[in-house]
Amino acid sequence: MFIARSEYDRGIKYVSSFPESRLSSTSNTPPSTFSPEGRLFQVEYSLEAIKLGSTAIGVATGSGVILGVEKRVTSTLLETSSVEKIVEIDRHIGCAMSGLQADARSMVEHARVESQNHAFHYNEPLRVESCTQSICDLAIRFGEGAEGEESIMSRPFGVALLVAGIDEDGPQLYHAEPSGTFYRYDAKAIGSGSEGAQAELQNEFHKSLTLQEAETLVLKTLKQVMEEKLDSKNVQLASVTKEKGFRIYSDGEMAEVVGRVPTN
Amino acid sequence: MPGFDFSHHNRNAALHAQGVPLPKATSTGTTIVGCIFDGGVVIAADTRATSGPIVADKNCEKLHYIAPQIWCAGAGTAADTEFTTAIISSNLELHSLSTGRKPRVVTCMTMLKQHLFRYQGHIGAYLVVAGVDPTGVGLYTVHAHGSTDKLPYVTMGSGSLAAMSVFETQWKPKMTKDEAVKLASDAIQAGIFNDLGSGSNVDVCVITPEKTTLLRNYIKPNQREQKQRSYLFKRGTTAVLKEKVITREEISKYVTVQELPSDDDVVVVEKMDIDA
Amino acid sequence: MLNANSPLASGPSYSFATPPNQTSTNIKQHSFNPYTDNGGSTLGITGDDFAILAGDTRSTSGYNINTRYAPKVFKIGEDDGTGESAHIVLSVVGFAADGNALKERLNAIVKMYRYQHGKPMSVKACAQRLSTILYGKRFFPYYVHAILGGLDEEGKGALYSYDPVGSYEREQCRAAGAAASLIMPFLDNQVNFKNQYIPGSGEGHALEARKATPLPRAEVEQLVRDAFTSAVERHIEVGDGLQMLVVTKNGIEEIYDPLKKD
Repeated sequence: MFIARSEYDRGIKYVSSFPESRLSSTSNTPPSTFSPEGRLFQVEYSLEAIKLGSTAIGVATGSGVILGVEKRVTSTLLETSSVEKIVEIDRHIGCAMSGLQADARSMVEHARVESQNHAFHYNEPLRVESCTQSICDLAIRFGEGAEGEESIMSRPFGVALLVAGIDEDGPQLYHAEPSGTFYRYDAKAIGSGSEGAQAELQNEFHKSLTLQEAETLVLKTLKQVMEEKLDSKNVQLASVTKEKGFRIYSDGEMAEVVGRVPTN
Repeated sequence: MPGFDFSHHNRNAALHAQGVPLPKATSTGTTIVGCIFDGGVVIAADTRATSGPIVADKNCEKLHYIAPQIWCAGAGTAADTEFTTAIISSNLELHSLSTGRKPRVVTCMTMLKQHLFRYQGHIGAYLVVAGVDPTGVGLYTVHAHGSTDKLPYVTMGSGSLAAMSVFETQWKPKMTKDEAVKLASDAIQAGIFNDLGSGSNVDVCVITPEKTTLLRNYIKPNQREQKQRSYLFKRGTTAVLKEKVITREEISKYVTVQELPSDDDVVVVEKMDIDA
Repeated sequence: MLNANSPLASGPSYSFATPPNQTSTNIKQHSFNPYTDNGGSTLGITGDDFAILAGDTRSTSGYNINTRYAPKVFKIGEDDGTGESAHIVLSVVGFAADGNALKERLNAIVKMYRYQHGKPMSVKACAQRLSTILYGKRFFPYYVHAILGGLDEEGKGALYSYDPVGSYEREQCRAAGAAASLIMPFLDNQVNFKNQYIPGSGEGHALEARKATPLPRAEVEQLVRDAFTSAVERHIEVGDGLQMLVVTKNGIEEIYDPLKKD
């Protein structure tokens, strides 16, 4: 990674050595301009921003998807319920975020509008993959338009989303990145503790996981990567099931699940 | 006081200002033609009567009798063609009686145009007048406003362009009777198939110095198709909501009741023309 | 002398040609009418496991026939490229240009839907989409009466009928277009058995109504033919050809029968 950093620097210098080039000024360089090595620095930096974010985990089971996030309680004076890192997109889709939360707001707003539009036009819920695609369609708009029109975004989003939902194909979990790419996962961790958490998920996940087991797996994994001691106030869970759709766990439910997490 | 009475004009204007529309007369889309040949004249018509886009009569008669050797094909407002030809037929017969001569086609045409001109086009009769008289063969068109034409082949009605296209490509002088009948019926068929206001069958009337032949339904190119299903309902399918029996004694207060010879004998009071 | 404003001096204030209440003004209003009525008729009937949409193939303007073969029923969402066969049918009657534009638009949307969502559009979804398309032109409507047909999620025949601005309803049968007023009562009686009672089941109002049951396909096809051969007899804008599209689980079958040409 440090080698990569030095390459970035060299790249910028290299580019700026052509004064006639549009790229001559680093500050004017559009975020969608390739470096001579073929990299999009702004995109790669946005990925770094996510690594600074709090950890978010999603686990998909046959009966539903569990989303879990850590809330960084930076002050004892902070009202923890105001930290919103899991939000509803539609009755059957929700998402967890890691990175710049303000950016996530625009993405979620976009997804909500797309979801409502689909229901209005087609009298059916939007599919989870289509919802994720529409989020990524927005994420990729950091570049200039096809006809060279000025971009409305000055930079890529600095946030990654875990989109959980349920449709005719059953429960699904997607990971959407600022680059505009997305993949479907059985279990995925994003944010600062993602490397450790993903390794844990890799070991623990299996196809026959129940929803309850998924709840504890998410919390157990979060616990391992969190700096603070996990309690029912500094984590949040949500589920998407066929019966109840998207639902954020109440304080009581959180306490119950936290109580189930094995202490070691 | 002699003169015209305009009182109805004021009444109609007042009603119209209040939004009462004038009663609409039924105008029939039609194809009618006429064509002279060596030794006579033939006229022909389709048999469709319409009111708006609806077919009112599938087999009506548009060839009207004026005199034994003078016939008239009518297009336009059905009532106007019927009454105009009937009135002129009467007057022509009276004229013939008082002069002691056979009626002439040109006389008929003149009476028609004067009658129609008087009504300034409000009588919507568009006619083809044809016949044979002591002066020879006559073929005329008379328009509702009173203008007339004398031509060797003529067409009128909504199908007139379709029919005329046949005449303009195939008509020739000195045709035989059979050729003329074929040409006239072909012209009508052009109207039947290409003009929506015309349809069903072809009626033809051939007039020669010797005789007049009316060929009713000369060609029937549009026979109704057989239905695929039977639409007979079981007796009792329709609900009977009220029943009232009127006794013979009661009805005989108003009408004369006559006993029929037996129950099986059906007495035909009036015969109706039913296709198929 | 006559008063200049009197109806006599200014000529008749009414005629057969002019509509009432417009005669007093001398101002001429020029207008452009973007619509024409191209006549024709369509109908749709559903059964247990099929839906039939039918339409005559005559296109008219005034007393003229534009063509004797202009289809009014279309397959929606058929893709030659992917070999994806259609499972939705649409009929449009009224202004043919709008009908074609609407068909093309819905067709493109249904194809795009498959690419975007990775599944064929359900008839229910298509029905809602068609409604929003029509309402989208609320103040310059597509001058058509549309009927949408297909099979629902349970495999049952589905039929949706629309007004020109998108109000719609799922029905068992519907006639539209020039001869709708001639065909619809026939369908009510023969498909839904309206005004039919079971003989001997009661007296007067107590008489039991005959219950409507889904009809078999062969019977429905016969009803469609009879409806059109009858409409042809009495409506001048209906004729030339009868086109039927039958949707079953095996795909869409097209049937063409000639009609009278007068």
